Amino acid sequence: MEVLHNLAFGFSHALTLHNLMYCALGCTVGTLVGLLPGLGPLATISILLPLTYSIDTTGALIMLAGIYYGAQYGDSVSAITMKIPHASSIVACIDGYAMTLKGKTGLALFTAGMSSFIGGTVAIIVLAFLAPTLGEVAFLFGPADYCALMMVGFVCVSFVTTGSLLNGLAMCLIGVLLGQIGTDVNSGLQRFTLDLPFLADGIGIVSIALGCFGIAEITKNLDSREERSPFNGKIKLMPTWAEFKRIWPSALRGSLVGSFLGILPGGGPTIAQFAAYAIDKKVSKYKHEIGTGCIEGVAGQAAADEAAARTSFIPLMSIGIPENAVMALMMAAFIIKGIQPGPNMIAGHPDLFWGLVASMWVGNCFLLILNVPLVRYWLSVFKVPYNVLFPCILFFCCIGTYSVNNNVDDIFITAAFGLMGYLMMRLELDAAPLMLGFILGPMLEENFRRALLLSRGSFTTFFTRPISGTLLGLIGLFMAWQVLAFFLKARERRPGDAATQPA
Amino acid sequence: MNDRNLARGLFLVAISLAFGLTALRYPIGDFGRAGPGLFPVVVSVMLLLIGVATVVRSRFVARVHLDLHLKNIGIILGSLCAFALVTLFVNMMVAIVIMVFIATLAGTSYSWQRNVKIAFGLCLMALVFAKLLGMNLPLY
Repeated sequence: MEVLHNLAFGFSHALTLHNLMYCALGCTVGTLVGLLPGLGPLATISILLPLTYSIDTTGALIMLAGIYYGAQYGDSVSAITMKIPHASSIVACIDGYAMTLKGKTGLALFTAGMSSFIGGTVAIIVLAFLAPTLGEVAFLFGPADYCALMMVGFVCVSFVTTGSLLNGLAMCLIGVLLGQIGTDVNSGLQRFTLDLPFLADGIGIVSIALGCFGIAEITKNLDSREERSPFNGKIKLMPTWAEFKRIWPSALRGSLVGSFLGILPGGGPTIAQFAAYAIDKKVSKYKHEIGTGCIEGVAGQAAADEAAARTSFIPLMSIGIPENAVMALMMAAFIIKGIQPGPNMIAGHPDLFWGLVASMWVGNCFLLILNVPLVRYWLSVFKVPYNVLFPCILFFCCIGTYSVNNNVDDIFITAAFGLMGYLMMRLELDAAPLMLGFILGPMLEENFRRALLLSRGSFTTFFTRPISGTLLGLIGLFMAWQVLAFFLKARERRPGDAATQPA
Repeated sequence: MNDRNLARGLFLVAISLAFGLTALRYPIGDFGRAGPGLFPVVVSVMLLLIGVATVVRSRFVARVHLDLHLKNIGIILGSLCAFALVTLFVNMMVAIVIMVFIATLAGTSYSWQRNVKIAFGLCLMALVFAKLLGMNLPLY
């Protein structure tokens, strides 16, 4: 019952006119960037980060969170109608687009919107019950345990986002190194600043995010030179009762899968969608239809997507360790606002925590209205040609970076990271783990140094403490499995190569 | 040389060396009392290992062509730098116009009438930011 009391307290904060406005604004902007190419939630949150300086803490975080989960909704609309996912709705392309080809766009959009609503609601219940409990567990964590947990996060994110563990880990490490630029907190020594005064405070997160995601994404779209054809089909939104009944079971399954996968380190919307889709394929009553454009194929993954987007706040808010790149950016937003996310946050700022949780449900309602009855108006956004769009995105990138410090130096840094982001994209290196490494880098160093200071330089502390020992053991097992899989695959391929070469 | 896997390995090695060799010049200390250079060296060594592994691996897997289109990224970065420089020396209104005219060179079609419209709209947007949201922009 305490939870209900807390939620009521949260709603009393979320339902003030002020916060309702920020929530609506966040959801609208989120849907818009989800629809448009070239601006993912990462780039948008970093552009808007400087704008939130003048907003009060709760309002700012409500808005930024709204952008994140709103973008997931918008993304699925663009995936269903045109088979172009920008952020993460890769799975929505399969059945959602198949439904569009069958002329059932309206039904697909309704299903996606409705299931996202269900997924979001389930996830908020999980969030309200689990986050405070997990926060108490976090008090048991020592510096060595935090180090181990961050390493687990690196390994999981690398594996999940890039598929290649080696590339992902490399990007995490580059991120950690970039996080080292600036003044060392322990000794006051300036590291890697090349004697440039504006690097003494470190590189701004906004510059890195906009360079690696904004600029690189624009250039990628320009390089591909595709002209998008806007969607012109008819949309009939209301489903029949029989169709409506098919949404429920699949959406609930997806919500549970998504809520669970969202909590795990490295988890998040993308992996949750794939898992939910795979499960629907196995257990759904209509499994023979999945893949050809059926309701279950859309409902399960959309619910999982939304649920995971919300439960991924749990590790950030209860333990203080972000588990993916967007959460890393949200953590930066918390810190800019002077709040250290972690076990003390829920007790220290209950209005913020419960207000944010409640606002997520309010945002859910906004998004349902925005994306189901109003969806046809959103589709006209696609009629804006990219040649008009990309100078505007560039403009937002410039203004966003400039207004962090009111300094043009940051624009040059953004340009430098744009080049780096472009190179990395061409080299097939995913920039998302880099963001996580960049945010976690300073924390990792601090905990690493503290753990070794406490143990007088002995590395055994990482293995003898139960929490860190278990976590590192898991990493070891995972690595061993990866290496084994690589060699088995190589051996399998060897005879095949020998057979083809003489020919 | 025109191999994406090899280039990726070399890229990682270059970054790890750049950071690692610089970090060696800082006080290292020992593990019990770490200096500012210790942690970056540890991380750089790990990155170096991954980079070397990637280079070695690229010898055993099929080559993948690395295609770089330097034109578009050059235009976009040029427009960003032009924006920064013009903001510094003239003002931001002019900078917006110049950025739009340079950046659209990378588009699929070029039309100066359209550019005028975009630039006008963006200047208006910047005014809204400055006047309504209270952002501190050196517009004029």
